[in-house]
Amino acid sequence: MNFDALTIVYILEIVVGGLLVGVGVHFVPVGGAPAAMAQATGIGTGTVQLAAGSGLTGLLAAGLMMSVTDNIWPILASGAVGAMIMIDATMMTGGWIYAYAVGAPFASAKVNYDPITGYSQPPYVAPGTVGQGIPTVCYVSGTIGAFMGGLGGAMIYYPLMMTNHNPSLSALFAIGIFLVNAVLASWNIQGTIEGFHDPKFKRWPKAFRSCLVATLILALVAVTITGGA
Amino acid sequence: MDALSMGLVAAMGALATVAGASEDIESDVGSQSNPNSQVQLAAQVGNPHRIYNKAISGEPPANALWATTAAVVAYTLITKFAMPALFAIAIGASVAALFNGVFSTSAYFGRNASQRRFNQWIYLDIVRYTTTSIMAHAWITAFCITCIAYIQTQILTPHHPFPMPVIALIWGLTVGAIGSSVGDIHYGGEREFQWRLFGQGLNTMLSGQIVRKAEAGLRNSIDNAWFCTKLGGPLTGLGFGLTVFLDNWRTTVFDPVTQAGLAIGMGLFFVILMNLYNFYVETSIRKKYGPYPGYKGDIAA
Repeated sequence: MNFDALTIVYILEIVVGGLLVGVGVHFVPVGGAPAAMAQATGIGTGTVQLAAGSGLTGLLAAGLMMSVTDNIWPILASGAVGAMIMIDATMMTGGWIYAYAVGAPFASAKVNYDPITGYSQPPYVAPGTVGQGIPTVCYVSGTIGAFMGGLGGAMIYYPLMMTNHNPSLSALFAIGIFLVNAVLASWNIQGTIEGFHDPKFKRWPKAFRSCLVATLILALVAVTITGGA
Repeated sequence: MDALSMGLVAAMGALATVAGASEDIESDVGSQSNPNSQVQLAAQVGNPHRIYNKAISGEPPANALWATTAAVVAYTLITKFAMPALFAIAIGASVAALFNGVFSTSAYFGRNASQRRFNQWIYLDIVRYTTTSIMAHAWITAFCITCIAYIQTQILTPHHPFPMPVIALIWGLTVGAIGSSVGDIHYGGEREFQWRLFGQGLNTMLSGQIVRKAEAGLRNSIDNAWFCTKLGGPLTGLGFGLTVFLDNWRTTVFDPVTQAGLAIGMGLFFVILMNLYNFYVETSIRKKYGPYPGYKGDIAA
């Protein structure tokens, strides 16, 4: 392979994509297993799983767009929008269960007032829990997180495709790089976070640094693989 | 946009809805994923039970495995043995269901055997009739997702550039993520703890105190599936169906080559709409339910 200026641009794009995924995970409101028992605010699943679910849905959209155009902007936008649709549909239907099956109002235990709507939170937090459901601030934060995840996934996929011109190889490598960054970020927030209003969100620079190192190594390996089936 | 493409997108949405519903019921009847933490804990806090206990992995990787297995087998049969797609996908899903059965059985035996010190038994009748139900649901999920992957790669134009197994892998991950985020709440937040006060999440003090008695006799996982089929399953299906349908609808109605901007704009419109709708739901239930009566803080509701 030729290691020219374009290759360096591709490496940088992959690194930026990885960083977007790493930081984006901090926005996704995940409450882990307790949230599935309406015991904690956020979506009742694991960080990596939800980030991967939304980001990779975005990757599917980006892959489809890249099969018809080489213009980077619609590809990135498609990835971001696909991921946002997935996470919003998930939070919406999940919210219905909190609202109409469990019968609990949405409330965050990390702030006294919702920064977006200004709604008071503590009176609506059920006794013995740390909040439940997906208040507006979490919903918006999740949408931003999916936007970054989808954008990041597409930004990893694009340079890989430009290097090896093999959709399956690029997709699998993009999934791999995506998951590495999502897992690193997940360790940083110790599995659960409510969104950008959560005090844990301030830890993002640590994830930024670790994702930078990890993605740089992965990007160097990824751009050297130019062959494939 | 042509009529066939729209029909295919509609079919994909319908298949995704069925896949989502069956995925959630599969996880509920096997007690996988998040609520399994309570099933696992129950015996440890003195409540041995007859609930199926399998946590093979998180739902997304598990379903990605079933869907990819089905897709790989189907793809091989279609390309190398020129088998009709429908039969090939059915055989692929059957192989995936067999994998599921092996994992489920070993998970049940392993988990319950490790809890012998807590007086948790291994019930062979539970293994006999619940495992097949789990496998059947896994079959439906794998079949539907592989069908979606087949439609996306072979029939729908523009053909998706990813191979069938990779698409199945991604949709498998996504359906698992949705099932674990949506349907699990109905099982974990409602069905497992029906005797506590209605209208609140699980108090931490009650962890592990799951309901062990059924409408008649002792509760088992088939009873849980019966309950979760009423809301958790269908809503999971709706979530996954919306994801698949809305994502593909916008690139089918608007040509991704000439009308990429419109396709993206339409996606953004859906996103904004769903954000506003969640705000509406939040506001309406706050008004309807009101604050918790025992609240003693100084922040006004």
